[in-house]
Amino acid sequence: MAADLHAKWIAVYVQIPSHLRLPQTERDRFVQTLRLAEQLGAETVTLTGEDVAQEILSYARSRNATKIIVGKPLRPRWKEWLFGSVVSDLVHQSGGIDIYVITGAAGEGQPLVRRTLQSTSDTLRYVYALAGVSTATAVDWLMFPHFAAANLVMTYLIAVIVIAIRWGQGPSVLASILSVASFDFFFVPPYFTFAVSDAQYLLTFGVMLVAALVISNLAVRIRQQAELARYRERRTSVLYSMSRDLATHRGTEILAQLAAKHLRDVFDAQVAVFLADAEKRVQLQRGELLFFELEPKEAGVAQWVYDHNERAGLGTDTLPGASALYLPLACSTGPIGVIALRPKNATLLLDPEQLHLLESLVNQVALALERTRLSDEAQQAHVRAETERMRNAILSSVSHDLRTPLATITGAASSLLEGQGNLHVSDRQDLARSIYREADRLDRLLKNLLDMMRLEAGAVQLSKDWHSIDEVVGASLARLEGQLADHVVNTNLPADLPMIFVDGVLLEQVMINLVENAVKYTPTRSLIELSAWSSDREVVVEVADRGLGIPSGEESRIFDKFYRGKSAREGGVGLGLTICRGIVEAHGGRIWVETRPGGGALFRFTIPLPEKQPSVEVEQAKVG
Amino acid sequence: MSQEATILLIEDEPEIRRFLRTTLPAHGFRFHEVVTGRDGLTEAKARNPDLILLDLGLPDLEGNEVIRQIREWTTTPIIVLSARDQEQAKVAALDLGADDYITKPFGVNELLARIRTALRHASRTSESAESVFTLGDLKVDLGRRQVFVSGDEIHLTPIEYKLLTTLIRYAGKVLTHRQLLKEVWGPLHVEEGHYLRVYMRQLRNKLEKNPAHPRYLVTELGVGYRLRAE
Repeated sequence: MAADLHAKWIAVYVQIPSHLRLPQTERDRFVQTLRLAEQLGAETVTLTGEDVAQEILSYARSRNATKIIVGKPLRPRWKEWLFGSVVSDLVHQSGGIDIYVITGAAGEGQPLVRRTLQSTSDTLRYVYALAGVSTATAVDWLMFPHFAAANLVMTYLIAVIVIAIRWGQGPSVLASILSVASFDFFFVPPYFTFAVSDAQYLLTFGVMLVAALVISNLAVRIRQQAELARYRERRTSVLYSMSRDLATHRGTEILAQLAAKHLRDVFDAQVAVFLADAEKRVQLQRGELLFFELEPKEAGVAQWVYDHNERAGLGTDTLPGASALYLPLACSTGPIGVIALRPKNATLLLDPEQLHLLESLVNQVALALERTRLSDEAQQAHVRAETERMRNAILSSVSHDLRTPLATITGAASSLLEGQGNLHVSDRQDLARSIYREADRLDRLLKNLLDMMRLEAGAVQLSKDWHSIDEVVGASLARLEGQLADHVVNTNLPADLPMIFVDGVLLEQVMINLVENAVKYTPTRSLIELSAWSSDREVVVEVADRGLGIPSGEESRIFDKFYRGKSAREGGVGLGLTICRGIVEAHGGRIWVETRPGGGALFRFTIPLPEKQPSVEVEQAKVG
Repeated sequence: MSQEATILLIEDEPEIRRFLRTTLPAHGFRFHEVVTGRDGLTEAKARNPDLILLDLGLPDLEGNEVIRQIREWTTTPIIVLSARDQEQAKVAALDLGADDYITKPFGVNELLARIRTALRHASRTSESAESVFTLGDLKVDLGRRQVFVSGDEIHLTPIEYKLLTTLIRYAGKVLTHRQLLKEVWGPLHVEEGHYLRVYMRQLRNKLEKNPAHPRYLVTELGVGYRLRAE
């Protein structure tokens, strides 16, 4: 039914003292029923109290329930008439809440009755007290001929107890005095006057009055304690249901929404959550559950509350004229935000018990928010540490990789300088060659580093144009001519490959890095194959080698910055593939590596194709 | 080619000047060097060199400004020395009238090849163009408009032929996309780079053994094309 109505439902179990005497199996059944309800999506609540109907209704009101569904009691009508029933009590006292009565078997309930009843007003309570004493007097009138006068006093005391329990202190005091008065008036000679013939009766009156007052006082206190216990119970269950929600969710926004939802349900109020930003300015959080029209003149209140860590607004000493109550979300380190409540019924917040409940709930919210913030901070600290670690790795890697070629160059150049006379021509050439080679390596290294920095800084402007893949491949092979001397390169590029709209220079760099990588990790004279093919949406380019392949587990890590495969041999900063990934992804493509069947690695990347190929005028005439 | 050719170097880096001061005279060139763009312009007028090597990153004047001013009164070949990742600056320099570029760091052989090509083109402008061009197994008879690869005649479309002959006219020299488009398709088509890509691919497919690893029609990505001269 709740699903049909798209409503939330709450399963309520009212524990009355007699339940405690039920056998364990019966109690287990209740627990199982509640578990079932929970699995079906209900929120479950356990209440304690004497009057089941009263408990259900007061809880329903505190949660703004619109409908109550109860099972039809399966017992004879006379029993119900004699002992009353939860259903009829509910129906009579439900006020604006619809009561649905259903039979134990599943079936669609029909609204039985809908009636509005005024809550017991103050005057009415005294009228009831008066009626109680009158009833006692009537009973005594009937007993009078048969019982001693002392016994009649008992009837009055019973009336006083009942009145004290049901209607409280004032009526019970009134009843005590009235009881003494009517006892005197009706049953103490001379009858129908307040005069007393026998002075002994004065003692009776005194004892009777004291006894009545003491009893009424005790009864009232019991009633208050019961109410207090019930209130605590309700508060605990409201707190529990909120803290359970808060504990199972993460993220400031979600927590703010949950807090708003619970506070709205409990206090029937509009709720706003403000959170402080880095500059200590509170910002109104927005979300589907945070309906709150901030009044312009109250715009500064939240900030004031945050700054002073004190409540303000409705019902407080500060700005009591405001339409909402503003409470700071106080944490161990000071406030982190402000919660504002604008209840439909403003007097609700004047009730100290309600205020106390509100405070407890707001504390829960503050704790949850603080927890989230601390975990965010821990996360950031972790990221910072990671970045720091990374930077150190970069520095040590870069300085090592720059120093190695520099050391060679310095050494070789100084040998040439010092050993003019005794160096053989071929030695001199060897030294010059290694200077040349190492300088070239340094150059490539620096280029990679610079490319990486520009890619990372987002400073790379793609200057896209139409390119054919064979041209990009050709240009990269021309650049690598020297390094490819000891390898065989085969290209397999279909003549009908579509043109791609890319930054040609950057894409050339991708090819250069991939082919260079293949050269570096494969034996000399082995075959490197470059292929490309296209689908409707993208072009796939492949660089295949017959090297050792990529160890499983390293497939995605080799694209990480400064990651060098375990089999990495000669120098390189471990940036080549990272740059490839950066460039390919900047073009909206993907890059990955696979193990090649038969040994080796397959590097593939894709470049998405634009909707249309550029049009070129076709000419047919031939020359010659 | 005159081994007595005079080369003017405009460069602010002392080590590059030192390296060229040792190298170029050793290969038979007369060599002069200046540090700033203004001195370069003065020296260029005073000495009337056969070739100018110009660094693009000068302290006083934009390299391109030097090219523009030199081109106001002389066609002396200019080779631009540029750093990597300056494709746009290279293209701008070439479009302004620089004859070629070389990327730092460069080797001596590469530089000498560029110098020789530039000097050859400078001297050729006065002569009549050769009627037959040969490069490896490629032979183009410009008088009869015939193209041969390993002796077999290849049929080209008019645009393909025009593209090829334009590259031959500037053989060894880089031509920007803009320059090629202007020469082959006319000044209205200088922005249509994809024309060039399509026809270059067709031309390679007809002339190159392995179009993906061309021997003659070289791509300088981001800059233009070059017909390899030697």
